[in-house]
Amino acid sequence: MKNISLGFILFFLSINIFAQNNGEIHGDFDLNMQSYIEDATINAVAADEIIRNNSFLNIIFTKNNFSAGLRYESYLNALLDYDDDFKGNGIPYRFATYSIEGLEVTAGNFYEQFGSGLIFRSYEEKGLGIDNAMDGIRLKYKLLKGISLKTFIGKSRTYFTYADGIFRGIDGEIDLNETLELQSKTRYIFGGSFISRYQQRNNPVFELPQNVGLYAGRLNIINGGWNYYGEYAYKINDPVNSIQEDAVNYASGNAFTSSLTFSKRGFGITGEIHRADNMLLLSDRDRIGKAYIMNYIPTLSKPHAYTLLALYPCATQAMGELGVQLDIFYKIKKGSLLGGKYGTKLNLNFSRINGLNNGNSFKNDLTNHEPILISFKGEELYFADINLEVNKKVNKRIRYNFVIANQTYNKDFLEGKTPGEYGVINSTIGVLDLSYKIKKGHTLRMEVQTLIAKQLETASKKEEGDWVMALAEYTISPNWFFTIQDMYNYGNDDESKRLHYININFGFLKGANRFSIGYGKKREGIFCVGGVCKLVPSSNGLNLNITSSF
Amino acid sequence: MKKIIYSLFLLSIISSCEVIEGPYMTGNGGGVDTNSSQYVKNILIEDFTGHLCQNCPDAARELEAIHDLYGSQIIGLALHVGSTFARPYPLSQPKFTYDFRTKWGEELDGFFNISDAGLPKGMINRIDYPGDHRKNKGQWLASVQQELDKEVVFGLNINSSFDGNNSIIDISTDALKDISGDYKLVVCLTENEITNWQKDGVIEDENYIHNHVLRSLITSAWGDDVSLSTNISNGESYTHNYSVNLADLENFNIDYSNNTLFQGNGESGGWNQNNISILAYIYDNSNYEILQVEYASLATN
Amino acid sequence: MKQLSIILIATFLNVGTIFSQERSLPNIDVKTLDGATFNIQDLENENNPIVISFWATWCKPCKKELNNIAEIYEDWQDETGVKVVAISIDDTRSMSKVAPYVNSSDWEYEIYLDSNSDLKRALGVSSVPHTFLINSEGKIVWQHKGYIDGDEDELYEQIQAISK
Repeated sequence: MKNISLGFILFFLSINIFAQNNGEIHGDFDLNMQSYIEDATINAVAADEIIRNNSFLNIIFTKNNFSAGLRYESYLNALLDYDDDFKGNGIPYRFATYSIEGLEVTAGNFYEQFGSGLIFRSYEEKGLGIDNAMDGIRLKYKLLKGISLKTFIGKSRTYFTYADGIFRGIDGEIDLNETLELQSKTRYIFGGSFISRYQQRNNPVFELPQNVGLYAGRLNIINGGWNYYGEYAYKINDPVNSIQEDAVNYASGNAFTSSLTFSKRGFGITGEIHRADNMLLLSDRDRIGKAYIMNYIPTLSKPHAYTLLALYPCATQAMGELGVQLDIFYKIKKGSLLGGKYGTKLNLNFSRINGLNNGNSFKNDLTNHEPILISFKGEELYFADINLEVNKKVNKRIRYNFVIANQTYNKDFLEGKTPGEYGVINSTIGVLDLSYKIKKGHTLRMEVQTLIAKQLETASKKEEGDWVMALAEYTISPNWFFTIQDMYNYGNDDESKRLHYININFGFLKGANRFSIGYGKKREGIFCVGGVCKLVPSSNGLNLNITSSF
Repeated sequence: MKKIIYSLFLLSIISSCEVIEGPYMTGNGGGVDTNSSQYVKNILIEDFTGHLCQNCPDAARELEAIHDLYGSQIIGLALHVGSTFARPYPLSQPKFTYDFRTKWGEELDGFFNISDAGLPKGMINRIDYPGDHRKNKGQWLASVQQELDKEVVFGLNINSSFDGNNSIIDISTDALKDISGDYKLVVCLTENEITNWQKDGVIEDENYIHNHVLRSLITSAWGDDVSLSTNISNGESYTHNYSVNLADLENFNIDYSNNTLFQGNGESGGWNQNNISILAYIYDNSNYEILQVEYASLATN
Repeated sequence: MKQLSIILIATFLNVGTIFSQERSLPNIDVKTLDGATFNIQDLENENNPIVISFWATWCKPCKKELNNIAEIYEDWQDETGVKVVAISIDDTRSMSKVAPYVNSSDWEYEIYLDSNSDLKRALGVSSVPHTFLINSEGKIVWQHKGYIDGDEDELYEQIQAISK
């Protein structure tokens, strides 16, 4: 007992000294707990444990140019929308990093992205349950003014362990104007990256490459309100470890992304195009699942914040897709007829994603297929979306957001169903989000959303049909919020499935702490971030969420 | 100095890329080691599947390809499990009305938590339990190769005869080294060449041939003790005898489908007794790893 | 018992010391809308307060907060000299929408891009919006999660308190 108290005193003294010698300790904490009770009407299963929870605590120590940290994660057991390989407790993330004279060294876990992520991105997205942090060594070096290099070697995290493949990577970027000290108004930035994955496999029938390499080159040109970004990526043959002739694909992969933006006061326009062909990089060539994906090809569609607009989200097809997107932002001047007293903001968005000509590249002794570079007409449509968002402040008390959209969603393909099962779903969606300031600090916000869905006649199964959603939120600044919402599937052909999904939510915020409690039913659905999706099972129960930073 | 370290790092990374030119099939084959001792280590691939699972036939074909490569050392077992992929359609429907599920398949699926994570999934000798025992078909080849390298601990011999009413199964187990532990013997019956509906990729195949489908377990799902003592010496031999009546087993499955299984419709019969085989395996009760498996035809006349 | 009380006292003394620390800005690079690299420690405002607000083009409360502040930003600047720095955590999916959105909204803030969330992680931000207030010595003295209509008033009180 004496030793323990001595130990404690020493420990705290050292932290104190550390803290007072301009060393700092900070962290943040998150707890997400959900109770699952049985509800046959919405197909919600009870969890054996009744309550499940995900939580983590991040701690970072910094002192001058040194910092170290760790994250403790606890899944006892993980929420039902997380992969159930997230089990137990542990410290899956820990690192130490220091920088000296332009060289930064990191040992332990780190996240990294090369270019736009086409060939490599290691990141975390807690909402999806994705965390493929690297574990190894990373060096960043500012070689000369305007030239920076980074290189790393490591294995990628999956759940509480590491995937088999060893990754080596190097990326260099040069900002021409800074390096050559150009006085030009136009800025040129070039970058190149290389990634290699080593994984040993002994296939008795096919010769597998133990090292798979990916290259990428990018270019960014900026001139005033104009901005062009282009990147091209290439992956050498990356076949799976199979002995079935028709499963082994020796074709190389490639992808490109290109975007042109122009913006000035009151107006902006963006056009993007991207294509991916056989471009999925896995940290273990034998495995499947989002925990093993090591590159990032975001879906070229608008991330929608309103529930019914995101009811049918698009998942990226890294193996083969061609997408285009156009965005126009415009602010109608204040004082004008349409603009009103404060001006009106408009955002028009159009996106379309279709498959490649006869599928992705495939090459082995039996076949050699290479799809055409650009082809829209006649290719299988995966997803299309056209929407207009209007944002307007009417007067000191009232402001509103109005969205009208039409989306086309190829449910059979995007959800991996047999063709003809559900077909393509076309939905028209309207959203009105109105907030009314009752008095100083008290605001009432109301949302009404409606979705009208149409399914092709030839589908063998019926989709859910039309939906309507209403939400009321009362907030008292700076601490309180209260929300009640209902999603109603009134248009379902099956009368017994015309269900209400009611939810209430209540929360308290103060400074860096936030507490919220919710109760209600959640619809089974797909939740996507950036084109990577997870399946969320339907649930009925209580939800508790606590987050805090120090 | 920093620049030298940096360039070295760079060089080591860039020298790592292999582009392979065709032809791609090396035709080396796996080869089966038939010369050494009397017993070889057999590998059980438990393929969890369902007739509504469109990606599952690819896994079954992978199993067949591995079997073709390594020969009789590879023994497959297809378990149709779960209400998502294996439930039958109502009898009024023209297709997918057969109920391939069994009491023991559901029990094993529940314990090892296989179909919850999606199908197809398999277990290779139930290695890497818990945590990594569910293997998708891309991992099967590497796992099989890993198992083939292990030494053989038990030898199994299956003999079968018919006494007029029932089939008699005699299993003799030979210990091939000194070991200690708790070992269990499980005996199953499987049926080959069942022609019935199966979703296969984008089509629905009316004439799909289902092979090594689990029909029944003669022991419980967790088996009988191999030996009564935990210490086993090299050379010891144990025998187990079982008497089975196919008609009774068939009726049990039909009742189970009707009364217990989710949306079961009783369509679990119609067994072809000429296509029934015995599949027996020994596993280590401490980690469920299967140490030996053997396969033989069931005598029915 | 005596040892237990020693431990407890030591704990309370130290927890107070650790948790009442001000926070320095970490040594992390972000990008400007022009593609240049900028180290967040280089932020400066002639000893006046700085507000750092994490946002994204897909985050409605974030846009609401920054739009509400935009309406009174000029008054804030006249009174306190405060500078608002808006850090977008949009990743490659929506990064190209940042400049057009900012320009069409007439924001006068300094905008930076943190597309792989490096700065967000280093400051312990788990969700957006999350706002920090930095004093004249470059230390973070106040932070706030989330945004409710009217929160900009509380933020302004904090700015005024440190700008004297």
